[in-house]
Amino acid sequence: MPIQVKQSSPGHWVIRLVWAAAVVGVVLYIPARTQLGTVGDITVAIEFAIAAISLNLVLGYTGIISLGHSAFFGIGMYTTAILVVEYGWSPGWTFYMAAAVAFVVGCAVALPALRLSGIYVALVTLSLAVLFPILVKWNKLEWLTSGPAGINGVAYEEIPTWPFVGELRGRESAKFFYWLGIVLLVIAYLVSRGIVKSRVGRSLIAIRDNQTGAAVMGVNPALAKTLVFGISAGVCALAGSLSALRISLANPDNITISLIGSITFLLVMVLGGAATLWGPIIGALVYVLIDTRTRKAGTSGEGIINTVFNEWLNFKTSPASFVLAVIILIVVFVAPFGIVGLLKRLANHVIVIVPRPAGHAGDVPVLATEASADVEEAPTS
Amino acid sequence: MDRFFEALFLGLSSGAIYALVALAIVVIFRGTGTLNFAQGEMATMSAFVAWIFDDMGVPLAISVLIGMAFGFLLGAATEVSIIRPLQKKSSLAVFVATIALFLGINALTNGIWGTPPEESLDSLFPNDPDDFVRLLGTVWRYTSIGALVVTLAVTALLFLLFQKTRFGLAMRGVASNAESSRLVGIPTGRVLAGSWGIAGALGALAATIVAGNNGQVTPTMMFTVFVYATAAATLGGLDSPGGAVVGGLLIGVIENVAAEFSEDWVGQDMKLAVALLVIFVVLLFKPSGLFGTAKVERV
Repeated sequence: MPIQVKQSSPGHWVIRLVWAAAVVGVVLYIPARTQLGTVGDITVAIEFAIAAISLNLVLGYTGIISLGHSAFFGIGMYTTAILVVEYGWSPGWTFYMAAAVAFVVGCAVALPALRLSGIYVALVTLSLAVLFPILVKWNKLEWLTSGPAGINGVAYEEIPTWPFVGELRGRESAKFFYWLGIVLLVIAYLVSRGIVKSRVGRSLIAIRDNQTGAAVMGVNPALAKTLVFGISAGVCALAGSLSALRISLANPDNITISLIGSITFLLVMVLGGAATLWGPIIGALVYVLIDTRTRKAGTSGEGIINTVFNEWLNFKTSPASFVLAVIILIVVFVAPFGIVGLLKRLANHVIVIVPRPAGHAGDVPVLATEASADVEEAPTS
Repeated sequence: MDRFFEALFLGLSSGAIYALVALAIVVIFRGTGTLNFAQGEMATMSAFVAWIFDDMGVPLAISVLIGMAFGFLLGAATEVSIIRPLQKKSSLAVFVATIALFLGINALTNGIWGTPPEESLDSLFPNDPDDFVRLLGTVWRYTSIGALVVTLAVTALLFLLFQKTRFGLAMRGVASNAESSRLVGIPTGRVLAGSWGIAGALGALAATIVAGNNGQVTPTMMFTVFVYATAAATLGGLDSPGGAVVGGLLIGVIENVAAEFSEDWVGQDMKLAVALLVIFVVLLFKPSGLFGTAKVERV
């Protein structure tokens, strides 16, 4: 019999505090105690996490299939690159602009696309993802995007000094991008949590589960979907901006701004757990873990992954994507809500948070990690 | 006028390939109501299998047939082992699974056969420099004519299959109402696996033609073809086989005429953008496509 804890009771607060302390501990531990290479890998994971969080808003919670988020990532990347290199903006300010541009494009795409349903939206967004790299290479846009060559030298002239973090120059700048990533990740998480745990979020879930029903209950599906798509695009652009600054270039052949990027965001989200707040973050960390492990296995000549892919199959590239795909195929069978869903199910055997009865006065937000099971209904599209 | 005929013919011959893959997409969509995003990658893998046999000295035509058989098995196995169990869970799970298949098969072909020298495959059709006829002032190469003829022949065969055989009748029954079909004793499972198999074989045939025209099999060769084919299937209507063929040929002609007559704006680089624009426009104004049945939603 699991222990029962009432929501917002002192016991619940203790759980929340322990959880928060653990997260803060991990965030502080990574730059302080691990190698710079690991910090860089984690920063990549943060980029994927932000993108997956944004995708989760549309796909996980609202049920809109989007294969176009790599384009929003690319918009972020190019907005920052163009503003920094061509117009001499300070990099920090370009994040606002990137999010704004992506928001407008997102709404513009959403308006016509959302008249459609399910697989047709997937087709429209798929064309967006395929179109974006072609457009930035187009000779008519070369004055803006520098065509196939891409934009080089996107960087901070001088890396700002932050309180508590200190001066991080030269090789140490990897840590600066880590902290910048953490700030953006917190923003993305709060935006997503703010939407999901509010009235708007509940109306989105209602749209996902039964659009007609939601409309009858007074939700305006078109408005809600358009706005959430725009916000999601804006959040995704933040990850693109960070990426442009970290690798200091915007390149049309970057794999993350091609359709493969969209697919990776989607799979990262499903791996961690669709329609869960922590899913995209956990998924991104696991994805980068898989990626770095398989990459190392490919060169060091040790381990089972190396035996299977290098000796048996004679792989010439990193098997990371293949391993990810196989894991996803297992996940969709055994854990429809990903790693986080699985962990929640296990945790429910030990401890159960009893939600407060409905209709209670006052509006205390529900703790993200222990969101009650009723959110876990299968998303349908 | 010569330029027009040249673009027209180029368009028809590349459109024939799009039509083949679009047919595969439509056959699956009619059966299980899913869009198989891994269609192009499955086809690429089948082409590699055809190459393996071709490389061992098996005659080309036989190798292509073996590749098609592999495509059939791959498609049917995917339906039975992945798609069918997942459809009981949710349509989103099926979508995610086809995406994962896309990534996985892509990584597999890239890993095994990815780096040059790439595998060379001859064309099914005579492909020497002097293998062409002159007609209407343009050069019509046998390889292009071959692709066109194969597509039309396959379409005719599929039409016979759909309209004149028991299996085709069962397929049409399942497409129109799977549950009722099961109730009247149609083995829906076998029909759906068969649809995926046929689609896999069609994709394999298209991939071997593409590889033959390029002279080699490459892991990425079907990606743009797949995008064109989705545009074609959307234009024709996702549930209409005839529409897929018309759509494929139209897309091929539109992109080539646009590239020929607007070299400055479209040119070779933006051909794909034209096809994508077609998807946008069609879905905006007629989501069911030219020949598809409009979906009526029951509340």
